[in-house]
Amino acid sequence: MPEYAIFLSMVVIFAILAMGLKLPIGVSLVFSALAGALLGGEGLALRHLVEGSFGYFDTILIIVTAMIFMKVLQASGILDTITAILLKTFYKRKVTLLLTVMAIVMFPGMITGSSTAAVLSTGALIAPVLIKLGLSKVKTAALIAMGGILGMIAPPVNILVMIMGGGVDMPYIGLTIPLLIIVIPLAIIISLWLGYKDIQILDYEQMKSILPESYSQEYGFRLSLPVLVVILLMIGQGFTSSFMPDIGIPAIFLVGSLVGIFCARPFNFFKVTQDAMKESMPILCILAGVGMFIQIMTLTGGRGWIVMSFLSLPPVLLYLGISISMPLFGAVSAYGSASILGVPFILALINKNAIITSAALSAIAGLGDLMPPTALAGIFAAQIVGEKNYFKVLRYCLVPALFELAMGIGVLLLAPVIEKII
Amino acid sequence: MKEKIKKHHLIALCLLCLTGTLCWLTGVQFLSMRKTDTFYPSPGLSAQTKLSDYFPQLADSPGDTAVYCFRGEEEGGNLLILGGTHPNEPAGFITAVLLLENITVSRGKIFIIPQANLSGFTHDDPFEGNPQKFSLETPGGRRWFRFGSRLTNPTHQWPDPTLFTNAAGQALSGAEVRNLNRSYPGKEKGHLTEQIAFGIMELIKKEEIDLSLDLHEAAPEYPVVNAIVFHENSAELAAIASMELQMEDIDIRMEASPPSLRGLSHREWGDHTPSMAILLETANASHGRLKGKPSEALIVEGKDPNYVKASKLGMLFVPYSKDGIPIKERVARHLAAVNALVSGLRELNPDQAIDIGNFPPAQTVNEQGIGLYLHPPK
Repeated sequence: MPEYAIFLSMVVIFAILAMGLKLPIGVSLVFSALAGALLGGEGLALRHLVEGSFGYFDTILIIVTAMIFMKVLQASGILDTITAILLKTFYKRKVTLLLTVMAIVMFPGMITGSSTAAVLSTGALIAPVLIKLGLSKVKTAALIAMGGILGMIAPPVNILVMIMGGGVDMPYIGLTIPLLIIVIPLAIIISLWLGYKDIQILDYEQMKSILPESYSQEYGFRLSLPVLVVILLMIGQGFTSSFMPDIGIPAIFLVGSLVGIFCARPFNFFKVTQDAMKESMPILCILAGVGMFIQIMTLTGGRGWIVMSFLSLPPVLLYLGISISMPLFGAVSAYGSASILGVPFILALINKNAIITSAALSAIAGLGDLMPPTALAGIFAAQIVGEKNYFKVLRYCLVPALFELAMGIGVLLLAPVIEKII
Repeated sequence: MKEKIKKHHLIALCLLCLTGTLCWLTGVQFLSMRKTDTFYPSPGLSAQTKLSDYFPQLADSPGDTAVYCFRGEEEGGNLLILGGTHPNEPAGFITAVLLLENITVSRGKIFIIPQANLSGFTHDDPFEGNPQKFSLETPGGRRWFRFGSRLTNPTHQWPDPTLFTNAAGQALSGAEVRNLNRSYPGKEKGHLTEQIAFGIMELIKKEEIDLSLDLHEAAPEYPVVNAIVFHENSAELAAIASMELQMEDIDIRMEASPPSLRGLSHREWGDHTPSMAILLETANASHGRLKGKPSEALIVEGKDPNYVKASKLGMLFVPYSKDGIPIKERVARHLAAVNALVSGLRELNPDQAIDIGNFPPAQTVNEQGIGLYLHPPK
């Protein structure tokens, strides 16, 4: 059976199981991967299925621990207190609020290179503020998802560029300005696009009426400790490497969660971890399923077929290929897209400045975090605002995503001009 | 209600049993990667030591790897040959094995480390779908070798940081913390991979190595392929070797080690020791992003229709026909380059001459296969 036929069969089987038979997405992915292995003559390929499911092991740990951290902030009353402080500060200033909120959401992404870390940490902090000021749940989630993705692309840490750079021996140097050229305009445009129309300017009485309960009088500075600890440990990554290994993002979130037990309203930590696991389970199942799917897709030659199909497009269609394939491949993961497609695309555009090219491609690859079925940024943003159907969130991400895509392609096209300016 | 709960428990129990069975079945396969490869050193071997003899902290760790030493009776130059820095680049590894199973040394010293990152041989890269091993036919039967991962096994070194700043100060993505060829000059108290790098640096210093060679493979779409990558301290030697290879009709690219790209062997060995530092690359389709179906045949025969198509589209940095680039050709290329570099060393500095006997001839390996020079399995 040709490689493309196996891959297309896997996609069709997945669609039948997920949409026709309404099986959970993760389970549908597992069975379509199994079918692909059988059709490809690989038998049950159990080793490959398990190996693929472990491809997202680190991501899974980040998700679980970040979710525990978010639940701790909720249960301890810290989230309500931060919401109250932000509301009191910004209830009269719409533009300042939106730009500040965008910067706050982006921050963890900027220092970890992960949109999930951004969405599930500071995204969770600002969501109630935006909702109380009149932004709909889905638009709030869209703003947080886009903020997480922009944080992932913004300097100083852009893992996508590092992955691409590793494939072409390009050191991670000189990226700050090209990345800021991409990210700053997008952060301003997207936050205003999603929020300016709907956010309401309140008078003091209106603001007071929607203020959640604040525990700042009762617990004082202690309340901020869990968030401060997480931010400090994230910033501090790398500084400790001369005498002890980095503890990693999952451990950072766990430390923050444990600190939260002693800093505010008492709560049942065991129950919080149970709730976090329960809410994380569907996406964890999807990630394990996607891992199996991609491993079998590679094993049966489907990945090579897809990569070659896009790379063999005529030069005039190359930019179209980049615009479609990189976000689409992000359904596997944005990092996977940067590695598998980003590196060949940099080589295909070798006559342009590789630093600017990789910065632009990272902006396009980052959109992969909005691509179902993984859609990490979209799914978690929906989860923190309590929206069950994440496709509603993705609908509001569409225009901002097109802004980002246009910016990425624009920077690619104008790379020679930008190179002269910077 | 009671009945419903019972039913639920039964399903859970069944799923647990299924998961347990799956873990056992696949666990056996994963653990099979920990069975060590057997080598048969030539009678010319003077001593077999361990990397921990140079850096004791590595003793009993998964990073402690075998060092094969061939000492000549006459004083001469000292050469280090590293294979298996990246266990998914088998031509480098097999070239080192071929040398240690054949050569004798009458002048100078040769140190061979066939599995520089031994931990990387104990697992596969998820999402790559690669086979766990590949085989080569010898006159006395089939020899099997492990095909591992570019990176150290995460069960030996975990977790990865978000951002890895190596000992040379280069910022890299977190996973590169397990890449030996991004970890030089290494750290005495660093991660396992950095300690392996530190151990190799110690060997180079203590044995006063004159020429250090790191044997690799790269994807055919990668610009630095079929290349000699040289530190500026070995530019002249690389030029001499390159000319010799060109005379043998072997196209080879000369690539200067970029001073801004830190943590790689060809940069840090040269910067931190008096040794001349050189890295060799051949073209391996099984290593590439455009590869078709991964298989043992792809590793050994190197045939891939995707790469034929990519070659026609001008996307590759090496010629690639439907005949592919088999491992025997890639190993022969490495052998020819090692030989040319040793000759060049003699020409540049006669005091550092190394006389090697029973060196597997590159042309014969290319024409008749690697197996001819591999010890049959016992």
